[in-house]
Amino acid sequence: MADKILSGISVATGIAIGKAFFVNRNHKAHLPRQTVSADQVANEISLLHDAFALVEAELSATREHVPAELKDYGLLIDTHILMLKDPKLSGTAEEYIKSLGLNAAWALEKAVADQEAAFGAIDDPYIRERMQDVRVVADKVQAKLIGHEADLEALSGRAIIMAHDLTPADTVELQVDKIMGFATVCGGKTSHTGIMARSLAIPALVGVDKLEDYVNDGDLVVIDGLSGKIVVNPTDDELEEYNERAAFFEDYSRKIKRHCQLPAETFDGSRVKVMANIELVEEVASVIDNGGEGVGLYRTEYAYLNRTELPDEDELAEKYIDLAAIMSPRKVIFRTLDLGADKFISSYGELNEVNPAMGLRAIRFCLKHPKLFKTQLRAILRASAYGNVSLMFPMISGVKEVRQAKAWLAQAKAELRREGVEYDPNIPVGIMIELPAAVMIAEYLAQEVDFFSIGTNDLIQYSIGVDRTNHHVSYLYQPLHPATLRTIKLVVDAAHQAGIEVSLCGEVASDPFCVPILLGMGIDSISLTPQAIPGIKRIIRQTNMHDCRKLLKDVLECRTVSRINNLVMDNIFKHFPDEVSFFTSLLENDEAGS
Amino acid sequence: MNTNNQTNSDGGNVQSRLVIVANEHGLHARPAGKLAQQAQAFEADILLVYDEQEVDAKSILDVLTLAAGPGEKLEIRASGSDAEQAADALQTLFANKFEE
Repeated sequence: MADKILSGISVATGIAIGKAFFVNRNHKAHLPRQTVSADQVANEISLLHDAFALVEAELSATREHVPAELKDYGLLIDTHILMLKDPKLSGTAEEYIKSLGLNAAWALEKAVADQEAAFGAIDDPYIRERMQDVRVVADKVQAKLIGHEADLEALSGRAIIMAHDLTPADTVELQVDKIMGFATVCGGKTSHTGIMARSLAIPALVGVDKLEDYVNDGDLVVIDGLSGKIVVNPTDDELEEYNERAAFFEDYSRKIKRHCQLPAETFDGSRVKVMANIELVEEVASVIDNGGEGVGLYRTEYAYLNRTELPDEDELAEKYIDLAAIMSPRKVIFRTLDLGADKFISSYGELNEVNPAMGLRAIRFCLKHPKLFKTQLRAILRASAYGNVSLMFPMISGVKEVRQAKAWLAQAKAELRREGVEYDPNIPVGIMIELPAAVMIAEYLAQEVDFFSIGTNDLIQYSIGVDRTNHHVSYLYQPLHPATLRTIKLVVDAAHQAGIEVSLCGEVASDPFCVPILLGMGIDSISLTPQAIPGIKRIIRQTNMHDCRKLLKDVLECRTVSRINNLVMDNIFKHFPDEVSFFTSLLENDEAGS
Repeated sequence: MNTNNQTNSDGGNVQSRLVIVANEHGLHARPAGKLAQQAQAFEADILLVYDEQEVDAKSILDVLTLAAGPGEKLEIRASGSDAEQAADALQTLFANKFEE
């Protein structure tokens, strides 16, 4: 057995095998505060300038190796180099050495504090944030002054990067050609680690608890971005197995990528739209590269996170217009703000809730804060003039909520019309079905809107009453629970009876084991992470509706999850043997057996 | 774009140009970076004057702390041997919206 197997959240798929390399371990090094005698001042000043020059040379060298797909990161390094050259930083530090007799590291700290004061007075939050870059640059110079080699430069061969957390500034300086994978304790799907890993197509895990306790520099580790695991010091047998899996997966990925632009059409001619879930406008390239037919779920939260003020309408509109225009004529579905106590900007102090998942969030939060809601609606409407835009409201629990949300939309439209601003007056409006209440009244809700989108992640949690991030009960989170399947079917049938389209945008849509069942139900479109699109399109193109309907009929008669899993596995073994090797979620999840 | 050349002050060569921040985001990191980089290429002392603040155009930090938004008017004031070239170059940079 391996020393330890840790689990985390996979943010980029694939398998990497290599030596672990920790960064940022010395981050909190103590800064010496001393004064120097008059005859030492000249020496201290030259130490200061040497340290600046050293860091500049290193950054310039790093800059040379930034690949084209990370252009933005390259520009960030340029900014850092300019800050190093800036007399405001080195010059002021030099002044403090001269006038106060401080040692170089302390003098620089004081110069940084001056800048902090200057930046702190600025209203523009974006510019205020640039202070972080000053800090990063100063840290590097101080590390040189006090003799701590910055971690990253010690990276000699190819390695798997481990860290408590990686800031954007850290990631820009990694020599990307040497990185085989990432694992961090902090971070979510939208962290820079994830975005960077996906754009480089290397496996990465975030949220790996106890990473620092169980992994040491130089340990041999396997990052399995398929199942979300880290294997620490595997045995020879395990290593061999993973080597094979890695090679096999690469082969498979290449093969499916070649056909990803073909339509998602079954053997017997049934078409289903395969769209992408995205968080950032920057992800559109991967949507298009992976054969996505549009954006089925644009999560608009990112623009609101990690900041103290709310974004204004122009800022939002600019992003939304970019997205709509780039994707056009493909469709983009905007989900209105889905935030609440679980994740939000600090200015909303009221959001200190005992039970955030059931509290003031998503549409509830927006209806309580109409100004914020209307700002976003206006921005989405403005984007609708530039592309094929729809919008949908999250976490709807009843008809009245839909009507209230639509009333705000109508008001936003009326305002824009009066102001002579262009928008699509017929913008389709949908709702997310993620509460059992919405399922039970789906036939009424269907009369209020143009489409449904089933959000299975929350729907499963609320239906089974399980928090899937809770280690004690997460085994109960079962996409193939008979209740889950019946729930989804109810919604699909209600939508079709009312003559509206229904899509599904939870993780179930990217699970090759579930997709044939969804097809059997007659789902109109699915939306999933862009990287999973080629694999799912391949599944769809290799099946036929007749088999899918048969499978659906069989699973709907099952009383337990294990029975359903067995049926689904049989089906997959028979029709899609390649997929079985990589997507083992079901095999491992069966213990619930409910 | 306004141009306002004035030569001479204490026998030195002072060049002044009025410019408008025409790019969409104002003097944010990238434009401020380009501006400072360009300014550093000249011998001349170059000041940016905005809203009663005078800052060194060669310092990205100074330029950033001006926080000049889109549509704002600034003055470039260059003095020294290559003041005219410097003022022209920076004025062009503003006119081209920092090539964004």
